[in-house]
Amino acid sequence: MKPKLKIVSSRQRPADARAILEVEGLSKGFATNGAGEILVLNKVEFTVRKGEMVCIVGRSGCGKSTLLNILAGFTFPDRGRVRLRGRPVDRPAPDRCVVFQEDALFPWLTVRENIAFGLKTHSMSRRDKEREVDRFLALVGLTDFGGYLPSEISGGMKQRVALARVLILQPEVLLMDEPFAALDAQTREEMQDLLLHLWAKLTHSIVFVTHDVGEAVLLADRVLLFENAPGRVKEEIAIDLPRPREKDTGRYYALCRAITSKMKRV
Amino acid sequence: MKRSHDSDAWAHRALGGGLPVLLLVLWLAASETGMVAPYLLPHPKDVLATAASYVFGHGGQAGFAGRFVDDFSASIARVMLGFGLAVLVGLPLGILSGRLALVNRLLGTTINALRAVPGISWLPLALVWFGIGLKTTVFLVALAAFFPIYLNAEAGARQVNPTLLRAGAMMGVRRLRGTFAILLPAAMPNIITGLRLGLGISWAYLVLGELTGVPNGLGAMIMDARMLGRIDVIVVGIIFIAVIGRLCDVGLHQALRLAFKSARRLP
Ligand SMILES: Nc1ncnc2c1ncn2[C@@H]1O[C@H](COP(=O)(O)OP(=O)(O)OP(=O)(O)O)[C@@H](O)[C@H]1O
Ligand SMILES: [Mg+2]
Repeated sequence: MKPKLKIVSSRQRPADARAILEVEGLSKGFATNGAGEILVLNKVEFTVRKGEMVCIVGRSGCGKSTLLNILAGFTFPDRGRVRLRGRPVDRPAPDRCVVFQEDALFPWLTVRENIAFGLKTHSMSRRDKEREVDRFLALVGLTDFGGYLPSEISGGMKQRVALARVLILQPEVLLMDEPFAALDAQTREEMQDLLLHLWAKLTHSIVFVTHDVGEAVLLADRVLLFENAPGRVKEEIAIDLPRPREKDTGRYYALCRAITSKMKRV
Repeated sequence: MKRSHDSDAWAHRALGGGLPVLLLVLWLAASETGMVAPYLLPHPKDVLATAASYVFGHGGQAGFAGRFVDDFSASIARVMLGFGLAVLVGLPLGILSGRLALVNRLLGTTINALRAVPGISWLPLALVWFGIGLKTTVFLVALAAFFPIYLNAEAGARQVNPTLLRAGAMMGVRRLRGTFAILLPAAMPNIITGLRLGLGISWAYLVLGELTGVPNGLGAMIMDARMLGRIDVIVVGIIFIAVIGRLCDVGLHQALRLAFKSARRLP
Protein backbone atom coordinates (compact mmCIF):
# COMPACT_ATOMS: atom_id res chain seq x y z
CA MET A 1 0.00 0.00 0.00
CA LYS A 2 1.42 3.33 -1.03
CA PRO A 3 1.37 6.10 1.55
CA LYS A 4 -0.48 9.22 0.66
CA LEU A 5 1.87 12.19 0.88
CA LYS A 6 0.11 15.50 0.97
CA ILE A 7 2.65 18.03 -0.09
CA VAL A 8 1.86 21.68 0.14
CA SER A 9 4.43 24.26 -0.79
CA SER A 10 4.77 26.84 1.92
CA ARG A 11 3.74 29.60 -0.48
CA GLN A 12 0.37 28.19 -1.52
CA ARG A 13 -0.89 27.02 1.82
CA PRO A 14 -4.50 28.09 2.31
CA ALA A 15 -4.99 30.45 5.21
CA ASP A 16 -6.42 28.77 8.26
CA ALA A 17 -8.76 30.80 10.38
CA ARG A 18 -7.80 28.91 13.51
CA ALA A 19 -4.07 29.43 13.15
CA ILE A 20 -2.84 30.76 16.46
CA LEU A 21 0.88 31.08 15.72
CA GLU A 22 1.81 32.88 12.52
CA VAL A 23 5.35 33.17 11.27
CA GLU A 24 5.86 35.53 8.34
CA GLY A 25 8.98 36.21 6.29
CA LEU A 26 11.37 35.52 9.14
CA SER A 27 15.03 36.23 8.29
CA LYS A 28 17.97 36.27 10.63
CA GLY A 29 21.71 36.56 10.11
CA PHE A 30 24.67 36.34 12.43
CA ALA A 31 27.94 38.20 12.20
CA THR A 32 30.67 35.56 12.23
CA ASN A 33 34.32 35.70 12.99
CA GLY A 34 35.97 35.89 9.58
CA ALA A 35 33.21 34.79 7.19
CA GLY A 36 31.27 38.03 7.52
CA GLU A 37 27.51 37.86 7.96
CA ILE A 38 25.85 34.48 7.47
CA LEU A 39 22.15 34.16 6.79
CA VAL A 40 20.73 31.50 9.10
CA LEU A 41 17.01 31.89 8.44
CA ASN A 42 15.71 33.01 5.07
CA LYS A 43 12.04 34.10 4.80
CA VAL A 44 10.66 31.35 6.99
CA GLU A 45 6.89 31.13 6.76
CA PHE A 46 4.44 28.80 8.46
CA THR A 47 1.51 28.73 10.79
CA VAL A 48 0.50 26.49 13.65
CA ARG A 49 -3.14 25.79 14.36
CA LYS A 50 -4.67 25.53 17.74
CA GLY A 51 -3.88 22.18 19.29
CA GLU A 52 -1.70 21.14 16.40
CA MET A 53 1.61 19.32 16.67
CA VAL A 54 4.12 20.56 14.12
CA CYS A 55 7.53 18.95 13.83
CA ILE A 56 10.42 20.83 12.29
CA VAL A 57 12.94 18.48 10.76
CA GLY A 58 16.26 19.58 9.38
CA ARG A 59 19.96 18.92 9.33
CA SER A 60 22.23 20.16 12.08
CA GLY A 61 23.00 23.84 11.77
CA CYS A 62 20.03 24.77 9.57
CA GLY A 63 18.74 27.26 12.14
CA LYS A 64 16.14 25.24 14.05
CA SER A 65 17.26 26.46 17.45
CA THR A 66 17.54 30.01 16.15
CA LEU A 67 13.94 29.80 14.94
CA LEU A 68 12.73 28.44 18.26
CA ASN A 69 14.59 31.18 20.14
CA ILE A 70 12.78 33.78 18.05
CA LEU A 71 9.40 32.11 18.64
CA ALA A 72 10.14 32.11 22.36
CA GLY A 73 11.08 35.79 22.31
CA PHE A 74 14.69 35.21 23.41
CA THR A 75 16.13 36.72 20.23
CA PHE A 76 14.76 38.87 17.48
CA PRO A 77 14.59 38.41 13.72
CA ASP A 78 16.22 40.84 11.31
CA ARG A 79 13.10 40.79 9.18
CA GLY A 80 9.65 39.30 9.39
CA ARG A 81 7.38 38.76 12.36
CA VAL A 82 5.83 36.26 14.68
CA ARG A 83 2.31 36.64 15.98
CA LEU A 84 0.48 34.66 18.61
CA ARG A 85 -3.29 35.10 18.41
CA GLY A 86 -2.63 38.13 16.26
CA ARG A 87 -0.41 39.85 18.84
CA PRO A 88 3.25 40.34 17.94
CA VAL A 89 5.75 38.30 19.93
CA ASP A 90 8.37 40.61 21.40
CA ARG A 91 9.48 39.00 24.65
CA PRO A 92 9.48 35.69 26.49
CA ALA A 93 6.19 34.93 28.22
CA PRO A 94 4.43 31.91 29.73
CA ASP A 95 2.10 31.62 26.73
CA ARG A 96 5.06 30.23 24.76
CA CYS A 97 7.14 27.92 26.90
CA VAL A 98 10.28 26.07 25.93
CA VAL A 99 11.57 22.63 26.84
CA PHE A 100 15.29 22.99 26.25
CA GLN A 101 17.56 20.36 24.85
CA GLU A 102 20.02 20.69 27.69
CA ASP A 103 19.24 20.43 31.36
CA ALA A 104 17.77 23.80 32.33
CA LEU A 105 16.23 22.99 35.70
CA PHE A 106 17.17 25.14 38.68
CA PRO A 107 19.71 22.92 40.45
CA TRP A 108 19.07 24.45 43.88
CA LEU A 109 15.35 23.65 43.79
CA THR A 110 13.76 20.25 44.32
CA VAL A 111 11.65 18.62 41.61
CA ARG A 112 8.57 19.95 43.34
CA GLU A 113 9.93 23.48 43.72
CA ASN A 114 11.03 23.49 40.09
CA ILE A 115 7.52 22.61 38.97
CA ALA A 116 6.02 25.22 41.29
CA PHE A 117 8.45 27.95 40.19
CA GLY A 118 6.30 29.55 37.49
CA LEU A 119 3.20 29.56 39.69
CA LYS A 120 4.77 31.85 42.28
CA THR A 121 3.46 35.02 40.67
CA HIS A 122 0.01 33.57 40.06
CA SER A 123 -2.79 34.86 42.22
CA MET A 124 -3.83 31.46 43.47
CA SER A 125 -4.20 30.26 47.01
CA ARG A 126 -1.33 28.30 48.45
CA ARG A 127 -3.46 25.18 48.66
CA ASP A 128 -4.55 25.43 45.04
CA LYS A 129 -0.92 25.77 44.01
CA GLU A 130 0.05 22.73 46.02
CA ARG A 131 -2.78 20.77 44.48
CA GLU A 132 -1.80 21.89 40.99
CA VAL A 133 1.82 20.86 41.57
CA ASP A 134 0.67 17.48 42.85
CA ARG A 135 -1.45 17.03 39.74
CA PHE A 136 1.45 17.72 37.39
CA LEU A 137 3.86 15.60 39.42
CA ALA A 138 1.40 12.75 38.92
CA LEU A 139 0.86 13.56 35.25
CA VAL A 140 4.57 13.14 34.51
CA GLY A 141 4.85 10.14 36.83
CA LEU A 142 7.10 11.73 39.45
CA THR A 143 4.84 11.71 42.49
CA ASP A 144 7.46 9.91 44.56
CA PHE A 145 10.31 12.17 43.47
CA GLY A 146 9.05 15.60 44.51
CA GLY A 147 11.75 16.01 47.14
CA TYR A 148 14.68 15.05 44.93
CA LEU A 149 17.17 17.53 43.55
CA PRO A 150 17.82 17.62 39.79
CA SER A 151 21.31 16.27 40.41
CA GLU A 152 19.76 13.18 41.99
CA ILE A 153 17.50 12.10 39.10
CA SER A 154 18.11 10.68 35.62
CA GLY A 155 18.11 12.56 32.33
CA GLY A 156 14.68 11.25 31.39
CA MET A 157 13.23 12.34 34.72
CA LYS A 158 14.77 15.77 34.32
CA GLN A 159 12.97 16.21 31.01
CA ARG A 160 9.74 15.13 32.70
CA VAL A 161 10.24 17.89 35.24
CA ALA A 162 11.06 20.33 32.44
CA LEU A 163 7.79 19.36 30.78
CA ALA A 164 5.76 19.63 33.96
CA ARG A 165 7.12 23.01 35.00
CA VAL A 166 5.95 24.61 31.75
CA LEU A 167 2.71 22.67 31.22
CA ILE A 168 1.54 23.81 34.64
CA LEU A 169 1.54 27.35 33.23
CA GLN A 170 -0.87 26.27 30.47
CA PRO A 171 1.09 27.65 27.53
CA GLU A 172 -0.74 28.06 24.24
CA VAL A 173 2.28 26.86 22.35
CA LEU A 174 4.89 24.50 23.68
CA LEU A 175 8.27 24.89 21.99
CA MET A 176 10.52 21.86 22.19
CA ASP A 177 14.11 21.89 20.94
CA GLU A 178 15.26 18.30 20.43
CA PRO A 179 14.15 17.58 23.99
CA PHE A 180 14.74 13.84 23.85
CA ALA A 181 17.88 13.75 21.72
CA ALA A 182 20.16 13.09 24.68
CA LEU A 183 18.13 10.14 26.01
CA ASP A 184 18.58 6.44 25.32
CA ALA A 185 16.20 4.82 22.82
CA GLN A 186 13.91 3.25 25.39
CA THR A 187 13.59 6.35 27.55
CA ARG A 188 13.01 8.40 24.42
CA GLU A 189 10.06 6.19 23.48
CA GLU A 190 8.63 6.55 26.98
CA MET A 191 8.95 10.30 26.74
CA GLN A 192 7.29 10.38 23.32
CA ASP A 193 4.36 8.40 24.72
CA LEU A 194 4.17 10.72 27.71
CA LEU A 195 4.25 13.80 25.48
CA LEU A 196 1.43 12.45 23.29
CA HIS A 197 -0.59 11.54 26.35
CA LEU A 198 -0.21 14.99 27.89
CA TRP A 199 -0.85 16.71 24.59
CA ALA A 200 -4.13 14.81 24.15
CA LYS A 201 -5.11 15.76 27.66
CA LEU A 202 -4.08 19.41 27.73
CA THR A 203 -4.65 20.44 24.08
CA HIS A 204 -1.92 22.98 23.60
CA SER A 205 -0.11 23.43 20.27
CA ILE A 206 3.41 22.08 19.98
CA VAL A 207 6.32 23.08 17.80
CA PHE A 208 8.74 20.20 18.10
CA VAL A 209 12.24 20.41 16.65
CA THR A 210 14.07 17.20 15.87
CA HIS A 211 16.51 15.72 13.42
CA ASP A 212 15.03 12.26 13.95
CA VAL A 213 12.60 11.61 11.06
CA GLY A 214 11.05 8.63 12.84
CA GLU A 215 10.25 10.78 15.83
CA ALA A 216 8.67 13.43 13.61
CA VAL A 217 6.44 10.90 11.83
CA LEU A 218 5.39 9.38 15.13
CA LEU A 219 4.43 12.71 16.70
CA ALA A 220 3.46 15.25 14.08
CA ASP A 221 0.26 16.34 12.45
CA ARG A 222 2.46 18.14 10.01
CA VAL A 223 6.20 17.98 9.31
CA LEU A 224 8.04 21.06 8.14
CA LEU A 225 11.13 20.04 6.24
CA PHE A 226 13.85 22.64 6.69
CA GLU A 227 16.34 23.46 3.98
CA ASN A 228 19.92 23.90 4.98
CA ALA A 229 21.98 27.10 4.92
CA PRO A 230 20.06 29.34 4.98
CA GLY A 231 17.17 27.70 6.80
CA ARG A 232 13.85 27.83 4.98
CA VAL A 233 10.69 25.73 4.99
CA LYS A 234 11.27 23.54 1.96
CA GLU A 235 8.19 21.42 2.22
CA GLU A 236 5.21 20.71 4.41
CA ILE A 237 4.20 17.11 4.77
CA ALA A 238 0.91 16.24 6.43
CA ILE A 239 1.14 13.02 8.41
CA ASP A 240 -2.27 11.40 8.13
CA LEU A 241 -1.53 8.28 10.11
CA PRO A 242 -4.31 7.53 12.58
CA ARG A 243 -3.53 7.90 16.27
CA PRO A 244 -2.41 6.17 18.40
CA ARG A 245 0.36 5.40 15.97
CA GLU A 246 2.30 2.19 15.71
CA LYS A 247 5.95 2.30 14.77
CA ASP A 248 6.12 -1.05 12.98
CA THR A 249 3.57 -0.48 10.25
CA GLY A 250 4.32 -0.28 6.56
CA ARG A 251 2.83 3.18 6.26
CA TYR A 252 4.98 4.49 9.06
CA TYR A 253 8.13 3.18 7.42
CA ALA A 254 7.08 4.40 4.00
CA LEU A 255 6.56 7.93 5.35
CA CYS A 256 9.91 7.84 7.12
CA ARG A 257 11.65 6.69 3.95
CA ALA A 258 9.93 9.32 1.83
CA ILE A 259 10.91 12.15 4.18
CA THR A 260 14.44 10.85 4.61
CA SER A 261 14.98 10.78 0.86
CA LYS A 262 13.59 14.31 0.56
CA MET A 263 15.98 15.40 3.29
CA LYS A 264 18.90 14.05 1.30
CA ARG A 265 17.83 16.07 -1.68
CA VAL A 266 17.54 19.24 0.39
CA MET B 1 26.89 0.96 55.33
CA LYS B 2 25.57 4.02 57.13
CA ARG B 3 27.88 3.27 60.01
CA SER B 4 31.04 3.31 57.92
CA HIS B 5 29.87 6.55 56.37
CA ASP B 6 29.57 8.10 59.79
CA SER B 7 32.95 6.90 60.91
CA ASP B 8 34.40 8.21 57.63
CA ALA B 9 32.99 11.62 58.41
CA TRP B 10 34.48 11.46 61.87
CA ALA B 11 37.84 10.44 60.53
CA HIS B 12 37.66 13.39 58.19
CA ARG B 13 36.93 15.81 60.97
CA ALA B 14 39.61 14.30 63.18
CA LEU B 15 42.07 14.76 60.36
CA GLY B 16 41.52 18.54 60.46
CA GLY B 17 42.37 18.56 64.16
CA GLY B 18 45.41 16.33 63.70
CA LEU B 19 47.87 19.00 62.65
CA PRO B 20 47.18 21.39 65.56
CA VAL B 21 47.54 18.48 68.01
CA LEU B 22 50.83 17.46 66.39
CA LEU B 23 52.13 21.04 66.60
CA LEU B 24 51.10 21.21 70.24
CA VAL B 25 52.95 17.97 71.02
CA LEU B 26 56.08 19.22 69.23
CA TRP B 27 55.86 22.50 71.11
CA LEU B 28 55.46 20.67 74.40
CA ALA B 29 58.45 18.44 73.63
CA ALA B 30 60.62 21.37 72.60
CA SER B 31 59.81 23.25 75.80
CA GLU B 32 60.20 20.25 78.13
CA THR B 33 63.60 19.30 76.70
CA GLY B 34 64.76 22.90 76.75
CA MET B 35 65.42 22.91 73.02
CA VAL B 36 63.66 26.25 72.73
CA ALA B 37 64.36 28.94 75.27
CA PRO B 38 61.26 30.26 77.10
CA TYR B 39 62.02 33.85 76.04
CA LEU B 40 61.61 32.74 72.41
CA LEU B 41 58.61 30.49 72.93
CA PRO B 42 57.13 30.03 76.41
CA HIS B 43 56.07 26.64 77.77
CA PRO B 44 52.49 25.65 76.80
CA LYS B 45 51.42 25.54 80.45
CA ASP B 46 52.55 29.13 80.94
CA VAL B 47 50.66 30.17 77.84
CA LEU B 48 47.61 28.32 79.13
CA ALA B 49 47.87 30.11 82.45
CA THR B 50 48.20 33.46 80.70
CA ALA B 51 45.19 32.65 78.54
CA ALA B 52 43.13 31.74 81.61
CA SER B 53 44.07 34.95 83.38
CA TYR B 54 43.43 36.94 80.18
CA VAL B 55 39.91 35.57 79.98
CA PHE B 56 38.90 34.98 83.60
CA GLY B 57 41.28 37.15 85.66
CA HIS B 58 40.34 40.39 87.34
CA GLY B 59 41.71 43.65 86.06
CA GLY B 60 44.45 45.37 87.98
CA GLN B 61 46.49 42.44 89.29
CA ALA B 62 48.37 42.08 86.00
CA GLY B 63 48.20 44.26 82.89
CA PHE B 64 46.32 41.77 80.76
CA ALA B 65 44.12 39.99 83.27
CA GLY B 66 40.45 40.01 82.33
CA ARG B 67 40.92 42.14 79.23
CA PHE B 68 39.50 39.48 76.91
CA VAL B 69 35.83 40.46 76.84
CA ASP B 70 36.69 44.08 76.21
CA ASP B 71 39.27 43.28 73.48
CA PHE B 72 37.08 40.69 71.87
CA SER B 73 33.98 42.85 71.68
CA ALA B 74 35.96 45.79 70.32
CA SER B 75 37.59 43.63 67.65
CA ILE B 76 34.51 41.75 66.61
CA ALA B 77 32.57 45.01 66.30
CA ARG B 78 35.27 46.45 64.02
CA VAL B 79 35.40 43.31 61.91
CA MET B 80 31.63 43.14 61.55
CA LEU B 81 31.38 46.83 60.66
CA GLY B 82 34.15 46.65 58.09
CA PHE B 83 33.05 43.30 56.67
CA GLY B 84 29.43 44.45 56.59
CA LEU B 85 30.39 47.58 54.65
CA ALA B 86 32.38 45.48 52.21
CA VAL B 87 29.40 43.15 51.68
CA LEU B 88 26.98 46.04 51.28
CA VAL B 89 29.10 47.65 48.57
CA GLY B 90 30.96 44.69 47.06
CA LEU B 91 28.09 42.27 46.57
CA PRO B 92 25.72 44.51 44.56
CA LEU B 93 28.56 46.06 42.56
CA GLY B 94 30.01 42.64 41.81
CA ILE B 95 26.65 41.22 40.66
CA LEU B 96 25.95 44.32 38.54
CA SER B 97 29.35 44.26 36.94
CA GLY B 98 29.04 40.53 36.22
CA ARG B 99 25.79 41.13 34.33
CA LEU B 100 26.10 44.58 32.79
CA ALA B 101 28.99 45.21 30.40
CA LEU B 102 28.66 48.95 30.99
CA VAL B 103 29.15 48.69 34.76
CA ASN B 104 31.99 46.25 34.21
CA ARG B 105 33.81 48.62 31.90
CA LEU B 106 33.16 51.51 34.27
CA LEU B 107 34.53 49.74 37.36
CA GLY B 108 36.82 47.03 36.04
CA THR B 109 39.96 49.04 35.34
CA THR B 110 39.83 51.04 38.54
CA ILE B 111 39.11 48.10 40.80
CA ASN B 112 41.79 45.94 39.27
CA ALA B 113 44.33 48.74 39.61
CA LEU B 114 43.41 49.34 43.26
CA ARG B 115 43.52 45.62 43.91
CA ALA B 116 47.21 45.62 43.02
CA VAL B 117 47.94 48.07 45.87
CA PRO B 118 48.99 46.16 49.02
CA GLY B 119 46.52 46.89 51.79
CA ILE B 120 49.23 48.02 54.17
CA SER B 121 50.07 51.00 51.97
CA TRP B 122 46.62 52.40 52.76
CA LEU B 123 47.48 52.56 56.44
CA PRO B 124 49.31 55.93 56.45
CA LEU B 125 46.60 57.51 54.34
CA ALA B 126 43.87 56.05 56.53
CA LEU B 127 45.62 57.42 59.62
CA VAL B 128 45.67 60.89 58.06
CA TRP B 129 42.04 60.69 57.01
CA PHE B 130 40.49 58.99 60.00
CA GLY B 131 43.00 59.25 62.82
CA ILE B 132 43.74 56.44 65.23
CA GLY B 133 40.89 54.12 66.20
CA LEU B 134 37.66 52.70 65.03
CA LYS B 135 37.34 54.46 61.69
CA THR B 136 40.81 53.61 60.41
CA THR B 137 40.43 49.97 61.35
CA VAL B 138 36.98 49.69 59.83
CA PHE B 139 38.22 51.39 56.68
CA LEU B 140 41.13 48.98 56.29
CA VAL B 141 38.94 45.95 56.97
CA ALA B 142 36.26 47.09 54.54
CA LEU B 143 38.80 47.86 51.85
CA ALA B 144 40.55 44.52 52.16
CA ALA B 145 37.35 42.48 52.31
CA PHE B 146 35.81 44.33 49.37
CA PHE B 147 38.02 42.81 46.68
CA PRO B 148 37.41 39.08 47.18
CA ILE B 149 33.69 39.73 47.70
CA TYR B 150 33.38 41.90 44.60
CA LEU B 151 35.51 39.69 42.35
CA ASN B 152 33.82 36.43 43.28
CA ALA B 153 30.32 37.89 43.02
CA GLU B 154 31.24 39.23 39.60
CA ALA B 155 32.59 35.89 38.39
CA GLY B 156 29.56 34.09 39.79
CA ALA B 157 27.08 36.43 38.14
CA ARG B 158 28.93 36.35 34.84
CA GLN B 159 29.08 32.55 34.71
CA VAL B 160 25.39 31.94 35.37
CA ASN B 161 24.04 29.64 32.69
CA PRO B 162 22.06 31.93 30.34
CA THR B 163 19.54 29.16 29.73
CA LEU B 164 18.47 29.41 33.38
CA LEU B 165 17.76 33.12 32.93
CA ARG B 166 15.84 32.38 29.73
CA ALA B 167 13.88 29.67 31.52
CA GLY B 168 12.97 32.18 34.19
CA ALA B 169 11.95 34.81 31.66
CA MET B 170 9.66 32.44 29.81
CA MET B 171 8.03 31.45 33.09
CA GLY B 172 7.12 35.07 33.63
CA VAL B 173 9.93 36.20 35.92
CA ARG B 174 10.75 39.88 35.57
CA ARG B 175 14.15 41.47 36.09
CA LEU B 176 14.11 42.15 39.82
CA ARG B 177 12.61 38.85 40.90
CA GLY B 178 14.89 37.10 38.45
CA THR B 179 17.84 38.62 40.25
CA PHE B 180 16.78 37.19 43.57
CA ALA B 181 15.12 33.99 42.39
CA ILE B 182 17.68 32.93 39.78
CA LEU B 183 20.80 35.05 39.55
CA LEU B 184 21.76 35.08 43.24
CA PRO B 185 21.10 31.38 43.89
CA ALA B 186 22.92 30.36 40.72
CA ALA B 187 25.92 32.50 41.69
CA MET B 188 25.76 31.37 45.33
CA PRO B 189 28.80 29.05 45.35
CA ASN B 190 31.01 31.90 44.12
CA ILE B 191 29.37 34.41 46.44
CA ILE B 192 30.05 32.15 49.42
CA THR B 193 33.70 31.76 48.42
CA GLY B 194 34.01 35.54 48.20
CA LEU B 195 32.35 36.13 51.57
CA ARG B 196 34.52 33.56 53.32
CA LEU B 197 37.72 34.91 51.82
CA GLY B 198 36.56 38.42 52.69
CA LEU B 199 35.86 37.55 56.31
CA GLY B 200 39.21 35.79 56.62
CA ILE B 201 41.11 38.77 55.31
CA SER B 202 39.03 41.04 57.56
CA TRP B 203 40.74 39.53 60.60
CA ALA B 204 44.17 40.09 59.08
CA TYR B 205 43.46 43.75 58.42
CA LEU B 206 41.78 44.19 61.77
CA VAL B 207 45.05 43.41 63.49
CA LEU B 208 46.88 45.76 61.13
CA GLY B 209 44.46 48.56 62.00
CA GLU B 210 44.70 47.86 65.71
CA LEU B 211 48.49 47.85 65.74
CA THR B 212 48.42 51.62 65.38
CA GLY B 213 47.79 52.43 68.99
CA VAL B 214 44.12 51.91 69.77
CA PRO B 215 43.48 51.16 73.46
CA ASN B 216 41.60 47.88 73.01
CA GLY B 217 41.18 44.95 70.62
CA LEU B 218 43.08 41.75 69.99
CA GLY B 219 45.61 43.53 67.77
CA ALA B 220 46.16 46.23 70.38
CA MET B 221 46.69 43.54 73.01
CA ILE B 222 49.41 41.93 70.89
CA MET B 223 51.05 45.30 70.33
CA ASP B 224 50.95 46.16 74.06
CA ALA B 225 52.45 42.76 74.84
CA ARG B 226 55.32 43.34 72.41
CA MET B 227 56.03 46.66 74.10
CA LEU B 228 56.18 44.96 77.51
CA GLY B 229 58.10 41.95 76.22
CA ARG B 230 55.28 39.59 77.23
CA ILE B 231 55.79 36.92 74.59
CA ASP B 232 53.33 34.57 76.33
CA VAL B 233 50.61 37.18 75.81
CA ILE B 234 51.55 37.53 72.14
CA VAL B 235 51.19 33.77 71.69
CA VAL B 236 47.82 33.85 73.44
CA GLY B 237 46.73 36.67 71.11
CA ILE B 238 47.76 34.75 68.01
CA ILE B 239 45.98 31.60 69.11
CA PHE B 240 42.83 33.53 70.00
CA ILE B 241 42.75 35.25 66.62
CA ALA B 242 43.24 31.95 64.83
CA VAL B 243 40.46 30.27 66.80
CA ILE B 244 38.04 33.18 66.53
CA GLY B 245 38.77 33.56 62.82
CA ARG B 246 38.03 29.89 62.25
CA LEU B 247 34.83 30.06 64.32
CA CYS B 248 33.69 33.09 62.34
CA ASP B 249 34.28 31.23 59.10
CA VAL B 250 32.28 28.22 60.27
CA GLY B 251 29.57 30.50 61.65
CA LEU B 252 29.28 32.45 58.40
CA HIS B 253 29.10 29.30 56.33
CA GLN B 254 26.46 27.76 58.59
CA ALA B 255 24.43 30.96 58.65
CA LEU B 256 24.42 31.11 54.85
CA ARG B 257 23.42 27.47 54.62
CA LEU B 258 20.63 28.11 57.06
CA ALA B 259 19.38 31.17 55.20
CA PHE B 260 19.66 30.04 51.57
CA LYS B 261 18.53 26.84 49.87
CA SER B 262 21.12 27.37 47.20
CA ALA B 263 23.89 27.53 49.80
CA ARG B 264 22.69 24.24 51.25
CA ARG B 265 22.13 22.41 48.01
CA LEU B 266 24.78 23.55 45.56
CA PRO B 267 28.27 22.08 45.82
N1 LIG C 1 24.67 33.60 18.56
C1 LIG C 1 25.18 33.18 17.38
N2 LIG C 1 26.19 33.86 16.80
C2 LIG C 1 26.70 33.45 15.62
N3 LIG C 1 26.26 32.40 14.93
C3 LIG C 1 25.25 31.69 15.44
C4 LIG C 1 24.65 32.04 16.69
N4 LIG C 1 23.67 31.16 16.95
C5 LIG C 1 23.66 30.30 15.93
N5 LIG C 1 24.59 30.61 15.01
C6 LIG C 1 24.83 29.91 13.76
O1 LIG C 1 23.61 29.74 13.12
C7 LIG C 1 23.53 28.46 12.51
C8 LIG C 1 22.27 27.76 12.96
O2 LIG C 1 22.37 27.49 14.33
P1 LIG C 1 21.22 26.73 15.13
O3 LIG C 1 21.72 26.48 16.48
O4 LIG C 1 19.96 27.49 14.99
O5 LIG C 1 21.13 25.37 14.29
P2 LIG C 1 20.29 24.07 14.61
O6 LIG C 1 19.49 23.78 13.40
O7 LIG C 1 19.57 24.21 15.88
O8 LIG C 1 21.41 22.98 14.72
P3 LIG C 1 21.47 21.69 15.67
O9 LIG C 1 20.59 20.66 15.04
O10 LIG C 1 22.90 21.29 15.64
O11 LIG C 1 21.02 22.10 17.03
C9 LIG C 1 24.80 27.72 12.85
O12 LIG C 1 25.64 27.74 11.74
C10 LIG C 1 25.39 28.52 13.99
O13 LIG C 1 26.79 28.51 13.86
MG1 LIG D 1 19.76 23.27 17.83
